[in-house]
Amino acid sequence: MTNPPSDGSLSLVNNGAPTTPSDPEVVARVLGGDAEAFGILIRRYEPGLLRFATRMLGNPDAAADAVAESLVRAYRHLAQCRDPGRLRSWLYRITGNRCRSHLARRHTNDVSLTDAPAPALTDASDTWAVLERGEQVALVERALATLPEEKREAFVLKHVEGMSYEEMAAVTGARIPTLKMRVHRAREALLVALEAYV
Amino acid sequence: MIDPRLQEALDDERDPAELPADLRESYARLRDATALLKSTPAMSVAARVMAEVRQIPTPVADEGVVRRLGHWLGRPKAVTLRLRPVWTLALAAGLAAVLLVPWSGGDSTPTPGAKQGLARFVGHFPGARSVEVVGSFNDWSRGTLHLRDDDGDGIWHGDAVLPAGLHEYMFVVDGERWVADPLAGRYVDDGFGAGQENSVLIVRAAAQP
Repeated sequence: MTNPPSDGSLSLVNNGAPTTPSDPEVVARVLGGDAEAFGILIRRYEPGLLRFATRMLGNPDAAADAVAESLVRAYRHLAQCRDPGRLRSWLYRITGNRCRSHLARRHTNDVSLTDAPAPALTDASDTWAVLERGEQVALVERALATLPEEKREAFVLKHVEGMSYEEMAAVTGARIPTLKMRVHRAREALLVALEAYV
Repeated sequence: MIDPRLQEALDDERDPAELPADLRESYARLRDATALLKSTPAMSVAARVMAEVRQIPTPVADEGVVRRLGHWLGRPKAVTLRLRPVWTLALAAGLAAVLLVPWSGGDSTPTPGAKQGLARFVGHFPGARSVEVVGSFNDWSRGTLHLRDDDGDGIWHGDAVLPAGLHEYMFVVDGERWVADPLAGRYVDDGFGAGQENSVLIVRAAAQP
């Protein structure tokens, strides 16, 4: 027996085998008046968007705000998504823009990214292991926070979110050679920062 | 500068096992750091987003460029007057008196501070139940800058003191229809990748006495 998908999006049955609706199918349902179907997209992309925003902003509360605002904006403008087959890129682009807005306001208020608290984690069951791993994550996040915004974004999209350079270009609007250079520079800077923090 | 062989390994273009010992150490350091960053924060905004989504009218499928253009041409257009330095206040007030009579809101015009300017938003929306302005200056949040149509003639107006500088904005009519200002003069991509644009407003600091 096939387990249902974790995002709860089980809705189509073909020869008795459950299948997961594609992004374009879910988008069509939402645009057809089924607002609740938007929840499928949230469950599908929320973890990645939260991880991306947390790495960009260095603060889980600010990341939650940015992602929530982005998803509401995405819903409001869903009809403007020209290619629902590339919905992930579109959502990351909106979230990246929100993160930039948050960072701009933060710079105005002179709050340092490196003051951010360590995020809570989901993938460890033992309390001590969680604490130890949380400290490690916090240290690496501090190193990451020393990178300029564009390099940090390029590094996170490439190595944390596992995107291709083509998808990164769709998300950021930057050209692929530019993105490759940013990733290379980010690696150099992160190695230096890791030696200082870790 | 990182050794190109390390960059190649990180780009999956070279087997990391072929790297010299010192480069293998750097490779492992970056790999381990990346693995830590892949941890997913233990939180969810799903309930919060869905609660807000349920308050928003369902988005409608894209009508296509030609039909959108037809609707745009067929619907009422907003007219925006913006007063920037204080020395233009008298001139713009005179224009408003001609264009918007009767209007009695002049007495409550807010006073800009040293690094602020006065923005006046005016739009023609006959039959609208509400008109408000959202933009980069209020974090695109509704409920902070409502326009008024006290005499019911369809001309909605309101003033706001804004920080000097460039702002993006749109009108929200009846809480659901987002309308760019066709007379804004400047526009920028709204960042959603669909070629839609926000109106741009430049506020200059008011002249100080």
